[in-house]
Amino acid sequence: MRRVVWEHWIGALGLLLLLVGTWLSLAWAPADAHMGLVQKIMYVHVPAAWVAMLAFTIVFVAAVGWLWRGTWGWDALVESATEVGVVMGALLLALGSIWARPTWGVWWDWDPRLTTAAVMVLSFSALMALRGFVDDPEKRATWTAVAAIVAYVDVPIVYFSVRWWRSLHQLQSSRGTVDPALLVPLYVMGIAFLLVGVWFVARRYRIARARLAAEMEEEAA
Amino acid sequence: MTPGMELNDMGWVWGAYGLTAAVLVTYAISLTLRFRKERR
Repeated sequence: MRRVVWEHWIGALGLLLLLVGTWLSLAWAPADAHMGLVQKIMYVHVPAAWVAMLAFTIVFVAAVGWLWRGTWGWDALVESATEVGVVMGALLLALGSIWARPTWGVWWDWDPRLTTAAVMVLSFSALMALRGFVDDPEKRATWTAVAAIVAYVDVPIVYFSVRWWRSLHQLQSSRGTVDPALLVPLYVMGIAFLLVGVWFVARRYRIARARLAAEMEEEAA
Repeated sequence: MTPGMELNDMGWVWGAYGLTAAVLVTYAISLTLRFRKERR
C-alpha cells in the first residue's frame, strides 16, 4: 500500500477547516456593527497576513541556519518559505485593496502599513529573482541568505507600523476589542491558513530538494 | 449607490473569497505539477 506523506494529512485537515471557516465567516458570524458585511473580508485578509509573516520569519531562521551550519536543508527551506510567503503576501495586498475600496474609498494609499507591507512582498520577490540569476548552488545559497536577512528587517516594521506612525490602517485587534462571534471564524480560518501554509512549504521544500539533488548530480557528472 | 451602501455590498466579499480560493487552488495545482515534473 502506498504510504501517504505526513503533509497530506495536514493539508487535508487545512482544507476541511477552510470549508468550515468559510461557512462560519459568511453564514454564521454576524455583520460588523460599523463596517457592515465587508468586514467579512477580515477572515481571509488577516490569516493571509499571519501566514505571510510567519513564512518570512521561517525564511529568516533558515537563512541564519544556512550561514551558520551550511546544510542544504536550510537553503531549501529558504527557497520554499520565500515562495509561500510571497504568494500569501500578494494575496494579503490584493485582499486589503478589495477591502479598502468600499471602506476607505480608495484601492490603495501610501500609508505606512500598506507601504511597508508592499516593500516586504517586493523584497522577498526580489529574493526569488536573485535565486534565479545565480547558477552556483553554494553562492546562490549564501547570497540569498544574506539578502533574506536584510529583507527581514522590514517584517517587524510592518507589524509595528500602525503603532509607530499615524496610519489609515487600524491597530491590531485583540480578544479584548473583538466580539467572540467574530473571533471564532477568525481563529478557525487562521488555523486553516496555517495548515495549508505548512502543506505549501512542505511540498515546495520537496521540489527544492529534488532540484538541488539534480544539480549536484549534474555537477558530479 | 449612496455612501455607506457599499459597506453591505456582498459583491466585495464574494470577490475577496473567490480570489482567495483561486490563488490557493492555483498554487496547490502548480506545486503538485512541479513536484511530479521534478520526480520524473
